[in-house]
Amino acid sequence: MTIRFEKMIPLPMLEQDTSGSEVWEAEALLLHQEKRYVVEAASGRGKTSLLSIIYGIRSDYRGKVFLDDRDLSTFTLKDWSLLRKEKLSFIFQGLELFDDLTGLENIRLKNNLTGYHKDERILEMAQLLGVDSFLKRKAGILSFGQQQRMAIIRALCQPFDFLLADECFSHMDHENSLRAYKLILEECEIRGAGLILTSLNETGLPKADLNLKI
Amino acid sequence: MRLLYQILWKDHSRAHLLGAFLGTLAGFVLLLAGIQFYMDIKGILSDNRDLLDPEYIVINKKVNIGQTLGLSRVGFKPDEIEEIRGQPFADQVAPFISNEFPVSAYTENERFPDFFTDLFFEAIPDEFIDVKSEEWQWDLEKGTIPVIIPQDYLNLYNFGFAPSQGLPQIPKGIISMVNFKLRLQGQVRGNYDDYQGRIVGFSNRVNSIMVPLDFLEWANQKYGYFKKSDPAQLILVSKNPTDPSIIRFLEERGYDTIREKLKSSRMNIILKFILSFLVIVAAIIIGLAFLVFLLSLQLMISRSSEKIRRLNKLGFHYREISRPYILLLLLLMAGITALSLLFTSLLAGQLHHRAETWSMDVSSSLHGIIYGTALGLILLISIANIGAILISTKKLCK
Repeated sequence: MTIRFEKMIPLPMLEQDTSGSEVWEAEALLLHQEKRYVVEAASGRGKTSLLSIIYGIRSDYRGKVFLDDRDLSTFTLKDWSLLRKEKLSFIFQGLELFDDLTGLENIRLKNNLTGYHKDERILEMAQLLGVDSFLKRKAGILSFGQQQRMAIIRALCQPFDFLLADECFSHMDHENSLRAYKLILEECEIRGAGLILTSLNETGLPKADLNLKI
Repeated sequence: MRLLYQILWKDHSRAHLLGAFLGTLAGFVLLLAGIQFYMDIKGILSDNRDLLDPEYIVINKKVNIGQTLGLSRVGFKPDEIEEIRGQPFADQVAPFISNEFPVSAYTENERFPDFFTDLFFEAIPDEFIDVKSEEWQWDLEKGTIPVIIPQDYLNLYNFGFAPSQGLPQIPKGIISMVNFKLRLQGQVRGNYDDYQGRIVGFSNRVNSIMVPLDFLEWANQKYGYFKKSDPAQLILVSKNPTDPSIIRFLEERGYDTIREKLKSSRMNIILKFILSFLVIVAAIIIGLAFLVFLLSLQLMISRSSEKIRRLNKLGFHYREISRPYILLLLLLMAGITALSLLFTSLLAGQLHHRAETWSMDVSSSLHGIIYGTALGLILLISIANIGAILISTKKLCK
């Protein structure tokens, strides 16, 4: 899958100074599936907007966005729900976990929809990220860092061409971030999928293919 | 998707849904019971008329001593007929025509005892007659004269005469099979013809021996020699039989009618009115309960709107998100259908039991229309609600 922007800019960004941005100032921008992109910037530069527009949960933009040469504005609700099950996965900055469900139930909610992973693999991933002992706890009482890891595992429970990760390590220590990043890269590798990862600041993570200045 | 149900059912308002459930159930029982009893009572009064059907009233002049002595005539004069025609309650008026020649009937059949009697005929236009039969046609070629006699005559025989004389009772079907001869006699001696007679129906409306109008007109032409008399009876159609001015008018003019019949048909109308009222009240209750249903489901959806948006972000289609609401709705609807049919049939059983002691025939099982009404309404409510659920979940999705 390719993602292509043509003079695309979110409407709220029009009032801001976007000079020097490789995203908002670009005539056209093409993102390839085999690449890993890291978008690092201070808050308010439109990182979340970028991912949300690609994911179809925001449509307040000027210009055009194409997924595989198809204009986003022509996608129906059905297209979007298929896309979110099979082509695009999102690790939300706000996590979007259900507080009343346990960590495991939150993960299963997505996995039941896609039938992608076996229970053993879910457990394995949770072990890798050090949250296996919290799987049976309600998501609402977990720490934000633990919740972030649940959200990462959930996002990996589906096929995708692009993984959109929005500041997904913000509440993890360096060591945990590295482990999570490693898992994400592995899972992307298996799918041959691209990654767009946003971050507030220098993550100190191993180099991405491309750093986009936004 | 047990988890989906777990997430979305959490935000239901038990009180609202219970209220809507009970309200709809009450409305349904009231409506179904109303229809059930309406069907029963319609059967009991068995004149197969609807509430809005017009009333047919047969009127005649009161017989007084003057008529017995031959000082005054019993018939309606043309100007009197015109006066009745001009009354606001009279939508149609038709005089009875009678035979102007002697008629007699006799049997010539081994299976029945011999029998001979003088007879009279009367005729009114077909549209005033409550018996609809294909045999009700005069055809000179066939030579069979169809006759309608009052239901009362048959009752008189079956329940009065036959038991007292040790004779067998005769059901309607058998009477229609009896062949008898009708002799129409002209003025000149020896000028008579015999025709085949057949009873084709029993009237609850007209207390007379009826033959088709075209036959009587033809026969009067051919055999008639009596002095033409004014019609002794009139039939009038009133769209508003409850109008008290009818009775007032009849009393003022000294006309008579079968009061009891008027009264019973009025009772019939009142009963039907009460039942109709019941059905209307039930419809209003169901309508309100339906609204409560709609609103509680919508409230449930809007309480869950954050969750629905979240599920949508995770890739759920709005139809998948609607499923828990639709299932909940259908479960409640199924409950309402089952319980309302159960309660209605219990009520019907009760009424059947009571009615037996009054020797009235009330069916103990539900009429087919009850099932039809229940299912139709449930379907209607469900479809409307499902539509609303789909619309409001769709609105929350991107």
